[in-house]
Amino acid sequence: MDPSGLVVKAEQVHKQFGRLHVLKGIDLAVKPGEVTCVIGPSGSGKSTFLRCINHLEKIDGGRLWVNGHLVGYRQKGDRLYELRDREVAAQRREIGMVFQQFNLFPHMTALDNVMEAPCRVRRESRGAVRERALKLLDRVGLADKVRAYPAQLSGGQQQRVAIARALAMQPLLMLFDEPTSALDPELVGEVLDVMRQLAVDGMTMVVVTHEMGFAREVGDSLVFMDDGCVVEQGHPREVLSNPQHPRTQDFLSKVL
Amino acid sequence: MTQLDEPGQARPEPIRAVPVRHPGRWLAVAVLALLTAMFVHMLITNKAFQWSFIIDNAFRPPVIEGVRTTVLLTVFAMIIGIALGIVFAVMRLSSNPILRGAAWFYTWFFRAVPRLVLAILFGNMAILYQKVRFGFPFDRQLSDLLGIDINGTIFDIDARTFLSGFMAGLLALALSEGAYMAEIVRAGILSVNPGQDEAAQALGMSRVLTMRRIVLPQAMRVIVPPTGNETIAMLKDTSLVAFVPVTNELFFRLEAIGSRTFQVFPMLVAACIWYLLLTSVLLVGQYFIERYFARGTASGPAGMRLRVLGGAGGEH
Repeated sequence: MDPSGLVVKAEQVHKQFGRLHVLKGIDLAVKPGEVTCVIGPSGSGKSTFLRCINHLEKIDGGRLWVNGHLVGYRQKGDRLYELRDREVAAQRREIGMVFQQFNLFPHMTALDNVMEAPCRVRRESRGAVRERALKLLDRVGLADKVRAYPAQLSGGQQQRVAIARALAMQPLLMLFDEPTSALDPELVGEVLDVMRQLAVDGMTMVVVTHEMGFAREVGDSLVFMDDGCVVEQGHPREVLSNPQHPRTQDFLSKVL
Repeated sequence: MTQLDEPGQARPEPIRAVPVRHPGRWLAVAVLALLTAMFVHMLITNKAFQWSFIIDNAFRPPVIEGVRTTVLLTVFAMIIGIALGIVFAVMRLSSNPILRGAAWFYTWFFRAVPRLVLAILFGNMAILYQKVRFGFPFDRQLSDLLGIDINGTIFDIDARTFLSGFMAGLLALALSEGAYMAEIVRAGILSVNPGQDEAAQALGMSRVLTMRRIVLPQAMRVIVPPTGNETIAMLKDTSLVAFVPVTNELFFRLEAIGSRTFQVFPMLVAACIWYLLLTSVLLVGQYFIERYFARGTASGPAGMRLRVLGGAGGEH
């Protein structure tokens, strides 16, 4: 375990897609139980950074730890060794992720979506998983939709199933990649309510979002990213009401 | 119009409009009915058909044995072909350039050589293997290329007896089918949203598990219809193994009766009838398989959609 006790620790994380320099040295620290909201204009690299945290993207420079373990690599002396697929998969089990486009498995019912990973990856007994999955679906307010296929659910309902699916692996950290951006306005609230409850229950969360109200109310810290850099970070209320950097001021004047 | 929106207003009478007439449809019906009548009349009155001869001979034991061989060849060739297709499609999409190259080579070769030529080639393989101690070609090269044994067990069996008749025909058809299925499966895998793969990975699923549980079941919706086509094509292509030669195959048997009795044409008609019957059975099977893999999607057959919606319970 990391002596600093941080769930996520990023030091000078760089990421390039060919010639495109997407992340230009990101530093971030997330303490247990903390909700960190990441905001910024599209193309600022915030989603890419989130995807680096569970190694869906490989970082090109810097260091990134989750729960004290380097993400995607093993360090021996000065050398880094890439982890095998199996080891990366094991790291990801500790990290839940919720996508903008939900990405539910369309050929499975809501219940099967939630049960799939615990049953197949962690090989838990079906009975226990089923019980837990039903509780989770109840917790996100979908107790009556357990037999429904994703195509029969609204966007908000699908996203809540997706959250339950991620929670079923009992992760130590939850990543949210613009979880409400693909939703109709009237469905945003139900998803944010679930996330708010999750924060109250003490889950460590990193949330890429455009919902300033959520960031202000639920976030413990707010990170503003622009052009691959962290421009400003601090307590959400302070950053949102009294931004220091001109780029933050400019961005907030457009979205608030 | 605004009046209608006011509450309390009585609902207007339902519209009773004169529907559009389609005289062209009636004309088409008349023409088609006439043509059908002429055709049926020809079937009945033309003596060359020899219907009683067809009925007497098309269902005799040797023909039934031919049907059995044809069906077995189709089933086994498709099972091996689909299995090979999945393996080569996954290899084609692998990040390993050697696996990719090998899979490309396989599909290139077996799509380039006609099935008829393959059938004759495999039928004559036994001549080669009196001198050579190994199984059959490409196995060894593929094995070297991949570092794994494909069909390793074959090496133990005497090549001449093994590659005679049925097995030679089956291998020719199955290997050829594998190449076509590889392309069909590849198209299916590519049709699945990359977000599915990411979601599975984010849950900590391995690549094999992701492929088996998440990607392939969704790819099946794209894979099944062309595979139905392939199966029907395979059913008919089994007649090619007569050149291996395989002498207990359906078409060979019917033609043999035709030649022996100098009634060639009636036996050709019998062949048509048999292939029509067998294909119809396959179509029924395809319907059910498609219905199974369409679960959870809006494009499933209507009956299925209604059933699923009913079972899931509505909004209210």
